[in-house]
Amino acid sequence: MAKSQKSPVGRRGFLKSAAAGAAALATTEITTAPIAEAQRENSSTGLPAPTQEQVARETGNVRPPATARLITRPGSDLMVQTIKNLGIEFAAANPGSSFEGLQESFINYGNPPNQMPEWITALHEESAVTMAHGYAKAEGKPMLAVLHGTIGIQHAAMSIYQAYYDRVPVLMIAGNDADFIPAHTAHDMAGMVRSYTKWDAEPKTIDEALAAIQRAYNEAITPPMAPTLVVLSSEVQKDNAPNTKIPAYKPPQFVTVDSTHAKEIAKGLVEAQNPRIAVGRLRTPEGVKRAIELAEIVGASTSTAATNGPMSFPQSHPLCGPGADTAYDYTLGLETGGAQASITGPSLAKIVSARDHDDIGFGGLTGNSTFGGGRAGRGGGRGNPSAPPIEADAEASLPLIIEEVKLQMTADRKTRIQERIVKHTRANHDARVEALAKAVDAKRAGWNGSPISTARIYAELWPLIMNEDWCLASPSNFSGGHNTQLWEHNKPYSYLGGQGAGGMGYGAPASVGAALAARGRNRIVVNVQTDGDLNYAPGVLWTAVHHKLPMLTVMHNNRAWHQEFMFVEYMAGVRGRGEDRAYIGNTLRDPNIDYVKMAAGYGMAGEGPISDPTKLAAALKRGVSAAKRGEPFMIDVITQPR
Amino acid sequence: MITKVTVCIVAAAAALCAQGGGRGAAGVGHTPPPTSPVTGNAASGKPLYYSYGCYACHGYNGETGARAFVGNWGNLAAEDRFISFLRGRVNVAPVTPATSMPNFAESTLSDKQAKDIYAYIRTFRSTAPELKDIPTLNAIVDAAKAEK
Repeated sequence: MAKSQKSPVGRRGFLKSAAAGAAALATTEITTAPIAEAQRENSSTGLPAPTQEQVARETGNVRPPATARLITRPGSDLMVQTIKNLGIEFAAANPGSSFEGLQESFINYGNPPNQMPEWITALHEESAVTMAHGYAKAEGKPMLAVLHGTIGIQHAAMSIYQAYYDRVPVLMIAGNDADFIPAHTAHDMAGMVRSYTKWDAEPKTIDEALAAIQRAYNEAITPPMAPTLVVLSSEVQKDNAPNTKIPAYKPPQFVTVDSTHAKEIAKGLVEAQNPRIAVGRLRTPEGVKRAIELAEIVGASTSTAATNGPMSFPQSHPLCGPGADTAYDYTLGLETGGAQASITGPSLAKIVSARDHDDIGFGGLTGNSTFGGGRAGRGGGRGNPSAPPIEADAEASLPLIIEEVKLQMTADRKTRIQERIVKHTRANHDARVEALAKAVDAKRAGWNGSPISTARIYAELWPLIMNEDWCLASPSNFSGGHNTQLWEHNKPYSYLGGQGAGGMGYGAPASVGAALAARGRNRIVVNVQTDGDLNYAPGVLWTAVHHKLPMLTVMHNNRAWHQEFMFVEYMAGVRGRGEDRAYIGNTLRDPNIDYVKMAAGYGMAGEGPISDPTKLAAALKRGVSAAKRGEPFMIDVITQPR
Repeated sequence: MITKVTVCIVAAAAALCAQGGGRGAAGVGHTPPPTSPVTGNAASGKPLYYSYGCYACHGYNGETGARAFVGNWGNLAAEDRFISFLRGRVNVAPVTPATSMPNFAESTLSDKQAKDIYAYIRTFRSTAPELKDIPTLNAIVDAAKAEK
């Protein structure tokens, strides 16, 4: 960019003068002395002296500096408008001195300002990105995380890595102020996370920046979905752009099955006596709608991945289940395996070689799994041989297949399909009730025990939320996974699944992200929060309170990193050195952590610790009520280990 | 930092009930408590059950977790069988953590301590109410039945 456009008061000189001013203020009452001093210093450069406001900013007043250059239309306003045009609802950030231009536009530009997107205050960049991770899993689209320089990117690195492994679209912007603190800049900012992002750019002009934001969005939402990063220099953010136009947005093209495949698949489904559709994890709620439409018009029983994560077939749909007859003669897999046809989008393996320039070789990305990338292949085709995958986006392919099905449908077939649907409906209902009856019988174990069984937490929660619009945003694998047996996951966002890369520090920020999505949609978010996980960055609880999010956090407080406890215990046994010291480094006791007090410190109401199971239901009821009012609430439950 | 996530539920879960028919399946077992002799001291066994990490996989009451044993007594049917099982792990335990119970060598857990733990375990009883007495669970099934 043209340096001539740079603010006449450079940041370095500005700070230098302000430091002198601060020293003066520290010992005297406020006078004009600092200003005079600053003016003297700048007089030697021929530059205009800093204003009183400028000096005041660096000495404690937050009012931004007025600059001498005439800014009629800040470039950052255009950036924000571009982001608005993409439908981004939220931008989460921890403050940083490399994006004040952009932040100022977010909070002041537009009418009304600070809406669509709304600026969300994060207390850690890892939280900001994981919020975006949770939001994207709930809504099937990205929100924005804004990062500050090298330090913000590195704070965010772990959560970027998780989102990458989870194939979740996250749009990120990192500010870069080359004139400020050298350690906060680099000549290739995105290089630090390139191997686990899908795309990045560092535009040099406003025009390039606007195009880069649009492309980053498109790359993020195109399979394989993944985080993308645009590095924006602070100067580009502040440039004047009176005549710049936002480029017309072109949505991405999704790879679909070709017409031959569409016809073949439609034929297979229409002519089958007992077709089945195995549904994995689709991209968006629209894909789920299309999968339902296809299943209904062909009368196929379906399997779902809804107990593994978001965007799959509704568990209680009449066609979801084994159906009346498990001898399927045609199975289509959507983002998972199917015996006769499997439509799966590209895995992360497709982009690894282009991004992992240092050959870091993150595990599991280039393995032999047909449905690589760590999330597909769990939708119902498991255990059965699958047809070679057709590499295409299943969601984008569904309209073509549906269209073909409609063309090939006959009145006779329609009649037969309706008869089949009736049989499937009855059989699937019976199967669900039978499975549930078996599950609840098992959940009796330890029902009245103390500490409280994890099964009881999920069992007591379910009647309180089953008639609400709810989202379980936290992974349940460490707390017994009881939701998968007791709850019905019928919305694309009912259960958001695991962390992505198995990293901790995920549950609370992902739930906050999901709660951002929920806030304006009359939805509540449940976060069954493991204790070890919360302690990575608990400040996100404050974000939930500050932004009035409908989120209930129920602590699964077993006072340990329990998995590691068991591993070390096992290893001590193998080596014959005794298990009685396995607690060292793996437990969270002495002292016990008081999570309700922790929450209270962040302004969140709560109850507990509760170890008496008879007191659990009433507390949960109060918690759900609070969440419905938009008042995040915590219940600390002392639990069995698992 | 958590690792080995894919084995998180089952890994390293001890198998006190390995032959009890309930291995790996959380639930309510129906085998009545053993009646074989107990020679240890339950009061002494209680802190050992905790400090040696038995609760980690079997729950504080033997009813929960990956390897609940109340009602699925298996290797807990008799004291000597229990101790043999603890010691026997030394020859079968692979180095890489897997789905098995840790080995408890005599040099790290004496026979007396093991008997005390056994005595404490034998005090465990199911706290599981009859299903008809848990309205919450009944309501869950009723709601599913009512769905059309």
